[in-house]
Amino acid sequence: MERNGSAISTDRTAKLAPGDVFEKYRGTFYTIIVVTILIIAWYFAANRIQNTLLLPYFQETAWRFFTAWFDYRIMSNLALTLRRVFTGFLYAFIIGIPLGLLMGYSQTAMQAFSPIINSVRQVPIMAWVPLSIIWFGLGDGPTVFLIAVSAVFPLVINTIAGVHGIDPNYYNAARSMGATLPDIIRDIVVPGSLPSILTGCRLAMGFGWMSVICAEFIATSAGFGFLMVEAQVRLETAELYALMIMSGLVGFIIDKGFLIVEKKLTSWRYKDGIVGS
Amino acid sequence: MALLEVKGITKTFTRRKKTPHIVLENMSFSVEQGQYVSLLGPSGCGKTTLLTVMGGFLTPDSGQIILAGNKVEKPGPDRGFVFQNYALFPWMTVKENILYSLQVKKLSQREQKERLHELLEISHLFGSENKYPVQLSGGMQQRVAVVRALASRPEILLLDEPLGAIDFQMRELLQEELAALVEGAKTTVVMVTHDVSESVYLSDRVIVMSANKGQIVKDVYINLDRPRDRQSPEFKGYVSEITELVRQAFSEKAVDIELPSGFAETNVNYNSQASFTDAFNRMSNRYSRVNHGRAAK
Ligand SMILES: Nc1ncnc2c1ncn2[C@@H]1O[C@H](COP(=O)(O)OP(=O)(O)OP(=O)(O)O)[C@@H](O)[C@H]1O
Ligand SMILES: [Mg+2]
Repeated sequence: MERNGSAISTDRTAKLAPGDVFEKYRGTFYTIIVVTILIIAWYFAANRIQNTLLLPYFQETAWRFFTAWFDYRIMSNLALTLRRVFTGFLYAFIIGIPLGLLMGYSQTAMQAFSPIINSVRQVPIMAWVPLSIIWFGLGDGPTVFLIAVSAVFPLVINTIAGVHGIDPNYYNAARSMGATLPDIIRDIVVPGSLPSILTGCRLAMGFGWMSVICAEFIATSAGFGFLMVEAQVRLETAELYALMIMSGLVGFIIDKGFLIVEKKLTSWRYKDGIVGS
Repeated sequence: MALLEVKGITKTFTRRKKTPHIVLENMSFSVEQGQYVSLLGPSGCGKTTLLTVMGGFLTPDSGQIILAGNKVEKPGPDRGFVFQNYALFPWMTVKENILYSLQVKKLSQREQKERLHELLEISHLFGSENKYPVQLSGGMQQRVAVVRALASRPEILLLDEPLGAIDFQMRELLQEELAALVEGAKTTVVMVTHDVSESVYLSDRVIVMSANKGQIVKDVYINLDRPRDRQSPEFKGYVSEITELVRQAFSEKAVDIELPSGFAETNVNYNSQASFTDAFNRMSNRYSRVNHGRAAK
C-alpha cells in the first residue's frame, strides 16, 4: 500500500530532500540493523559452541555463500531448478487461471469442481512424491509435476476470489452499453480479477519454489535441492547453510519481481499512477 | 405516444422459507419525450427495483416496459444507466470508460474521436481524459458516469441516486452541474432519489411512491422556470408539499410492520435521517471497495 502522500513526495520528478531519502529507505535501514544483530549473535554463538557440524563459523559460511555465485556446479544446478520452477508454474498457470475464471464466473462450474478441488488440495504436497515418481520416473518429470500441483491451488483460489470480488454493477454497466459475453470476459472479468490473480501468482511461485527443493531431495539427482542433500551427506554444514540462505534469497528476489510486475500491471489502482514502496 | 410506458409492472421477491415480498404491484405510468422524472419514496419501496426493470437487468413477474414502441427485454445501449456507485471501470481511463459503448459497437476511430470531443465538451472534462477514475473527485466521477451513459445516444437516461454518495455541501453544486449536463444533451431522464429538494430542483415531474407495494401516492408536476431558485417561495412550496406526501407514504408502511418476520426484516423502520445515513454508509462502503487502491488525500 502507498503511504500517506504527505510523508513522501509523490512527484517522481521532484528532487528528494535528505530527510526524504531516509524516509524512503527507512525499511531497508531497519532490516540491515536486524541482520547485523543476527550475524553478530551467530559469530559469537559459533565461537562458543565450537562444533562446525551443528553451527559452522559465520566467516566460513559467508565465504561459501559468496563463492557459490561463481561456482559453475552450483549455478548450473540453480539454473536447472529455476527452469523447473518456471515450467511447473507455467503449467499451473495454464490450468489454474482458466479454471479459476470459469469457477468464479459460473455457479454451475463452481458447484461441479469445488468439492473435487477442495479435497485434492488437502493432500499434502509430499504425499504426491511416490505417485509422481511412478508416473514420471526420476528427473525433471516429477519435480515439474510437484511444482505444478502446489502452484495450481493458490492460482485457482485467488482467481475465483478475484472474479467474485468484481462489483456486479460492472457487469450490468457493461451489458447496458451493449457488451457481449466475450467483451465482458475481456473487459470486465479479466482486468477486474487481475489484482487477485497476480497475488495468486506470487503465492504460487512461492509454493513452487518451496516444493521444488523438497521434490529434489527425493525425486531427482540434480538441482538445487539435490545439492543440499549432497552437502548434508558430505557433512559440509557450512555449504548447506550457504545454500539455504541462497534459496531464501532467490525466493525473495522472485517475489519482489512479481510484486513489481503486479504494481506495473495494476497501476490504475494507485492515485498518482506511481507505484508505492 | 409516450416515449416510455411502464405498464402494470409487478415484482415479487421470494426468499427460501419466507413469505413472498411484493415490492411492486401493478405499477403504471408513462414518460414523455424530453421529460425529467424523479421517483421519490422511502427506502426499500422498490425504486431501484423499478429502475432495474426499466434497465432490463431484472424481469418483472408481469407487466412490461415499452420504450419508443419496443418492449424492453434485456439491457441495451438505448437506455443509458447511471448506477448508485457509478460503476466506472477502474482499470479504464476516463476516455476508455466514456467510449466503451462505441468501442464494443466497433465504431470507427474517427467517429469515436468526434463523440469523445462532444462529450468532454458538455461535461467539462477536457484534460482529464487519460486519468483513471481513482484519480478523479466525486463530482468528476459523476460527470464521467453520466456522459458514459449518454455516449451511445440513448433514448432515455436512467439515474439511480446519482448524487447518493456525495456529501451535502457538494450536492447542490452537483445538482446544478447535472441539470446543465442533461439539458445540454436534451435527453429524457428517469431519476431515483431520496432527496426531496433534489427532485424538485431537477425534475419536471416527481412521482412519489409508497412503501406499500410501490403504489404511486401522487404524481406532482413542477411548473417552475429553469434555472430554479431554491430560495423562491414557489420552490419551497413544492418541497413542503412533497415532503408531506413522503411522510404520508411512510405511514402506509405501518401496515407492513405487523407482517411476519420475513417482511419486518426487509422493511427498514424509517426515520429519514437515520435511513439516509445508513444508505450513505452502505454506498460509501461499496464505493471505497471499488476504489480500494485509493490513497488518503
Ligand atoms: N434481489 C433481491 N432479493 C430479495 N429481495 C430484494 C432484492 N432486491 C431488492 N429486494 C427487496 O426489495 C425491496 C425494494 O428494494 P429496492 O432496492 O428497490 O428499494 P429502494 O427503493 O431502491 O431503496 P433505497 O432507497 O434504500 O435504495 C427491499 O425491501 C429489498 O430488500
Ligand atoms: Mg435504491
